[in-house]
Amino acid sequence: MRRRVLLLSAALLLLPQAAPAKIATGLIVADAPAPVPNLDIRDGDGNDAGLGRSRGRAVLLNLWASWCLPCVAELPALDRLATTAKGVEVVALSLDHNGAPAAKAAYARMEITHLSVRVDAQLRAGEALAAPMLPVTLLIDAQGREVARFVGAADWDSPLARSLLDALAAGRPITTEMAPPKAKPRGAQPP
Amino acid sequence: MRKSLLFGVLAVVLALIGPSGSPAWAEATVAPSVTGRFSLIDQDGRPVTEASYAGHLRMMTFGYTFCPDICPTTLAVMAAAIQRLGPDAARVIPIFVTVDPKRDTPARLKEYVAAFDPRFAGLSGTQEAVARAAYDFRVRYHINSPEASDPDLYTVDHSAGIYIMDGDGHFLAKLPHQLEADDIAERVRAYLR
Repeated sequence: MRRRVLLLSAALLLLPQAAPAKIATGLIVADAPAPVPNLDIRDGDGNDAGLGRSRGRAVLLNLWASWCLPCVAELPALDRLATTAKGVEVVALSLDHNGAPAAKAAYARMEITHLSVRVDAQLRAGEALAAPMLPVTLLIDAQGREVARFVGAADWDSPLARSLLDALAAGRPITTEMAPPKAKPRGAQPP
Repeated sequence: MRKSLLFGVLAVVLALIGPSGSPAWAEATVAPSVTGRFSLIDQDGRPVTEASYAGHLRMMTFGYTFCPDICPTTLAVMAAAIQRLGPDAARVIPIFVTVDPKRDTPARLKEYVAAFDPRFAGLSGTQEAVARAAYDFRVRYHINSPEASDPDLYTVDHSAGIYIMDGDGHFLAKLPHQLEADDIAERVRAYLR
């Protein structure tokens, strides 16, 4: 019987594309910084708000959606980071099908005051940035290159997160030791 | 990838040294074809079966809505694919089936699928009905132990992929969930011709 249980667990592990758990999460540093593809980013009124305007400045680009609870849960910390991070523009890009209204509703619910509404107009950012999971946060240098990304929800209030952003702002190399802690899972109920 | 290969080898080795006779998991792994049958409840509380969407090509995927620290984007990609179909989208219905009916009630699913695309159906049912549907699609899932702090805080491992079923509910293809929206739309268009 015991052997059977063992066999069953071994068989379960064979699931071909199983389980979000198999995705590597945490801070992933790029071997070679690569230019971030052009994205059709709009503001809450539908006007162009592409990252091209941020060239010359480091950017933290957070991909989120209203249906992704861990994404919504980290918005308040990103909102605080938007005012405290020096030399880094914090951009929260909503991948919502329902675009600006969904983003605005989530901002109101979470009392987000500093982050601007940014919407992935063509619903292509997830693919263009190879994000099969949310949240994903890209760290982009002043030359518009992705130097690292954090897959999953992070503790953006942590001192490590602040020093990570300091390094990004200063153009210093990002290392895995700078990884902020992963955010603790929350209760199952929507916020 | 390397890890799954390792586990594959491990499983084969375990199977070879296992007790003689038919192991309990053999029936589950040597899966016959996908029958595509289901008897579930939709997001509005209505009973539905594979006959309920007659004449519509179906894009179906199994999963659960409560992602504790990271959320798959399969439904977002399906929604993007549907939008790229243009007028052909009227002949297609995207369907999400929960493998976690304890937490994913019809009301919860209604709100969840609407966030992706209003055309989505979100199906749940009793534990038994969901298990039956999963079996009939050869989908495997495993509900993990909850966190000590909260009995409702648990993850569910499940097979991914998007099932394309014809207008009569028969299996046509299983697409990997990593496909891009354009590729999915192209495959769906081909089946609509």
